[in-house]
Amino acid sequence: MPRHFEKIAYKPIPVRELLVEMKNLSELMIDLAYSAALFNDKELAEDVLALEEHIDTLGYLLGIEIMIAARGDPRDAQALIGVSTVAAATDKISDAAADIAAIVTRGIGVHPIVGSIFEKVEERLMKATVKEGSVIIGKKIGKLDLAPRMGVDIIAIRRDKEWIINPKETDRILVGDTLITRGAPLGTKEFKDLAEGNTKQLEEQY
Amino acid sequence: MTEQKQFEEIVARFVELKDTSELMMDLAYSSLLLNSRELAEEVERLEEYMDNLHTDFELLALNSDFKAEEASGFLGLIRLGVATEKIADAAAEMAEVVLRGIEPHPVLKLTIKEAEETVTQACVSADSLLAGKTLKEARVHEETGMWVLAIKRAEKTLRPRGDSKIQSGDILIASGYAEGVTDLKKLASPEEACSIE
Repeated sequence: MPRHFEKIAYKPIPVRELLVEMKNLSELMIDLAYSAALFNDKELAEDVLALEEHIDTLGYLLGIEIMIAARGDPRDAQALIGVSTVAAATDKISDAAADIAAIVTRGIGVHPIVGSIFEKVEERLMKATVKEGSVIIGKKIGKLDLAPRMGVDIIAIRRDKEWIINPKETDRILVGDTLITRGAPLGTKEFKDLAEGNTKQLEEQY
Repeated sequence: MTEQKQFEEIVARFVELKDTSELMMDLAYSSLLLNSRELAEEVERLEEYMDNLHTDFELLALNSDFKAEEASGFLGLIRLGVATEKIADAAAEMAEVVLRGIEPHPVLKLTIKEAEETVTQACVSADSLLAGKTLKEARVHEETGMWVLAIKRAEKTLRPRGDSKIQSGDILIASGYAEGVTDLKKLASPEEACSIE
């Protein structure tokens, strides 16, 4: 089936805004893609592929903005070439994430033992299911203050057979949710205990 | 070697590839934020290190005696390695902007500061709890969520190790979620204002 490409229609968006989104998305995609490969999750992998197409569109829009900003002035153009190089690099990073996702969507898969060892040695990415009795049930993500409290960020939630990618601060955690988190090794562990109901109390913030 | 042991070794190499590629991204963004040749050169050095590590990893995977039905799972593993290499290349391309003497555009600095994962620098004052401690003792990551990527001391930029001692006057370059920046700065210079640049 031929791919459907989003049509490029110029709309004025600040370069900074586009580049911040490309940087954030490319980093999120890497973590999602590794999670999809190591937890062997096809839907999550498909979401990564969709994000990759979105980054491509952002890359076009950014390219247009940069050409407008250079206005035929060699000095401006020279200052801006670094911006387009960095944007291209974020695009390349998102391509690498898509390559990882394709391992899953094409049915190649990563050897299952790898996933189980990986979970033990790499502590920055973690999957946890919210169990009955956990103190985070019903709480808004923003209210949990996970980043300042334990250096952890929820990057995806599996609920009702669907993934919510990069959930909003106002989204609430429900019992049965599967959460993928990334961040500080100790923090991800601490958070897993909270989600699974092993820790009953959110530590007071210093 | 038992099968489990073999896998553990392969996965350990893969995690090293993954962590190195991500460290390179952080260092590349830092080099752009600070227009630092030294940090950009460090990215280049790591790129070479990645190349060797990647070869080791692939050889190890290919040399393990896997069964025919495991071939696909090993192919998947090898492709994971290729992806880390691509990420490392992307980081090296960013660092190259600095190495080619292109002054990073202000919009790049703003982008790095505003992103969810950011890079920052904090200088260590004499009254800081960090002064005199090794990085391992300082537990910067546990306290602030920020990873120390490099230490700037006098004219030199050092790559941190667990036993590196932090001295007052050092500038720490660190990456992490934007929320950790204030905590790091408070930890590094609690009372005394300490100026950078």
